[in-house]
Amino acid sequence: MAILELRDLTKRFGETVAVDRFTLSVEKGEFVSLLGPSGCGKTTTLQMIAGFETPSGGTILLNGRDLAKVPARARGLGIVFQTYALFPHMTVEENVGFGLEMRKVPADERRRRIAQTLDLVHLSHLSGRYPRQMSGGQRQRVALARALVIEPELLLLDEPLSNLDAKLREEMQLELRRIQQEAGVTTLLVTHDQSEAMALSDRIAVMQGGRLIQEASPFDAYDRPANGFVSSFLGKSNAIPGHLEGGAAGTKLRCRELTLDGPASGETPGPVLISLRPERIEFTGEAEGIVAGRVSERIFLGDKWLFKVETGLGELLVVRRNSGRREPEVGEAVHLFWQAEHLRVLSAESAE
Amino acid sequence: MIRNGLFAKLFSIVFAVFMLAPLVVVIGVSFTPEGFLEFPPSGISLRWFRAILDNPDFIEAAIMSVQLGVASATIATVICIPAALAIGSGRFAGRDALQALFLSPLTVPTVVLGIAFLRFLSMMGLNGTFWGLVFCHVVIIVPFVLRLVLASVTGLDPSIARAATSLGASDWTVFRRITLPAIIPGVVGGWVLAFITSFDELTVTVFIVNPATTTLPVKLFSHITQTTDPLVASVSTVAILFTVALMLIVDRIYGLDRLLIGEGSR
Ligand SMILES: Nc1ncnc2c1ncn2[C@@H]1O[C@H](COP(=O)(O)OP(=O)(O)O)[C@@H](O)[C@H]1O
Ligand SMILES: [Mg+2]
Repeated sequence: MAILELRDLTKRFGETVAVDRFTLSVEKGEFVSLLGPSGCGKTTTLQMIAGFETPSGGTILLNGRDLAKVPARARGLGIVFQTYALFPHMTVEENVGFGLEMRKVPADERRRRIAQTLDLVHLSHLSGRYPRQMSGGQRQRVALARALVIEPELLLLDEPLSNLDAKLREEMQLELRRIQQEAGVTTLLVTHDQSEAMALSDRIAVMQGGRLIQEASPFDAYDRPANGFVSSFLGKSNAIPGHLEGGAAGTKLRCRELTLDGPASGETPGPVLISLRPERIEFTGEAEGIVAGRVSERIFLGDKWLFKVETGLGELLVVRRNSGRREPEVGEAVHLFWQAEHLRVLSAESAE
Repeated sequence: MIRNGLFAKLFSIVFAVFMLAPLVVVIGVSFTPEGFLEFPPSGISLRWFRAILDNPDFIEAAIMSVQLGVASATIATVICIPAALAIGSGRFAGRDALQALFLSPLTVPTVVLGIAFLRFLSMMGLNGTFWGLVFCHVVIIVPFVLRLVLASVTGLDPSIARAATSLGASDWTVFRRITLPAIIPGVVGGWVLAFITSFDELTVTVFIVNPATTTLPVKLFSHITQTTDPLVASVSTVAILFTVALMLIVDRIYGLDRLLIGEGSR
């Protein structure tokens, strides 16, 4: 059964519609991410679930119970704020114990649960510290422990890693996933960072302008984006405007003066947007090449190469794994090949 | 701070001398063995400090000033905490008007305030009473308290209160356990500033005291209009030492620069 169900959730601030008929359900134990660009309504959605904003419409069900009349303090949710929001005048132990104290948990059980949770986030050795004496990553863990110790039915995370530097962020991603799984807590994460959402989630809900655009596993959202927005927001993608033509022998795509073999597609013939992931493009010999081009830029990224190639289809981004072989140089003439099945045909209106 | 220019250094020194010179003169004069104001003193004597003990008027006035300062500063602080929380965190109609109202005593010349208070207290039948004085001092010092408390409220992350709420705390518990402790440096700073302002307020107070409620500044003022003996200097020296001691205590507990420069919360 779904732990959390949002039905047509809507929030208006005067004229602006921050969240627009948003529907989503989260299953027990699941890790779901709300992913979207800044200002798309993620925080507002989370604040409504937490009880700090009143919805303008729609319902929120927690374990089947309507939350409309339940005040924030009685919802029993664990929340980690973007700023961590630790209590500055309390030690780590007191911060983590605050929720238990509010629940009138007896002192000895409280100590036991604090110790257990600090252990989970690997902070037992710092229990006497004050927040200002800790690094960003450590504060992050305290915030997580404080939210988890009350054993919430649902954990809400608002951009929890965005205040950390890049290297720490990657470490904390793995940590967050481990902690979530060990605690077995149902989690809803809000983020604008697509790699974070993909790394952590069982399911991603992509949001744009307050609306749900696509709900899928990270792999499916990446591989089968619902529209041009999702395909460009999740990872890198080549978006090529074209014209779809149906036929007995399969679809054809006409882009500029070229005609390509298309994949099976549900789109009706007409103008479309073709999306092609840069890592699905290969360099090949002249005979097999689908288009010819010239390398205009080449960037070395350690584990991979990034190329920009001028072709008859426009500039295409190509990503190749660094396999130790020689790769084309800037200015070199190349031929590009891809399997037709890797082309995604999207409706033309969705071109951002 | 790291590399001050020569000009900046010079300016700081001149400024410090300018600020401290009157204090040095007053303290110097208070140690004179003579019967008139003399600087530098021709000898060191505690004569004029002993003289304070023979003038119970001054001691009574000092006690009056301390009581008045404590009462006014405390009342002003109690009023300013909820006001600052409302102004600092809320979006509501009339927020700017409320803030302007609280800060408005700063913009009225104190002489005008004094006359206004005199009329007002007479109408209310409170003229010359202790609580009448308290009322006037509260009005005068509220802007100072509000500014310091407001500085620490606006430095406060609003998510902190939300975090406490989400953990099950009632509004009152959030205030008592989270918000108040987080803004306490601003509150204490505001109280001290208010106390000192009330303690040496003269311009308004002189209009509204009567002999039973004379404060120390008023007493000193009326004393020097009659005689010019060094008693005023020794009383002032004691008052200066008292203020410095108060500042030192607060500094030890909270760090004065943080209170007054306004890095209210961490
Ligand atoms: N309290 C508010 N008053 C008015 N507009 C708001 C308020 N909170 C958010 N908004 C608007 O709602 C939209 C969504 O904001 P938010 O949920 O914070 O986005 P996100 O978290 O995805 O960046 C934005 O356009 C924002 O300006
Ligand atoms: Mg946000």
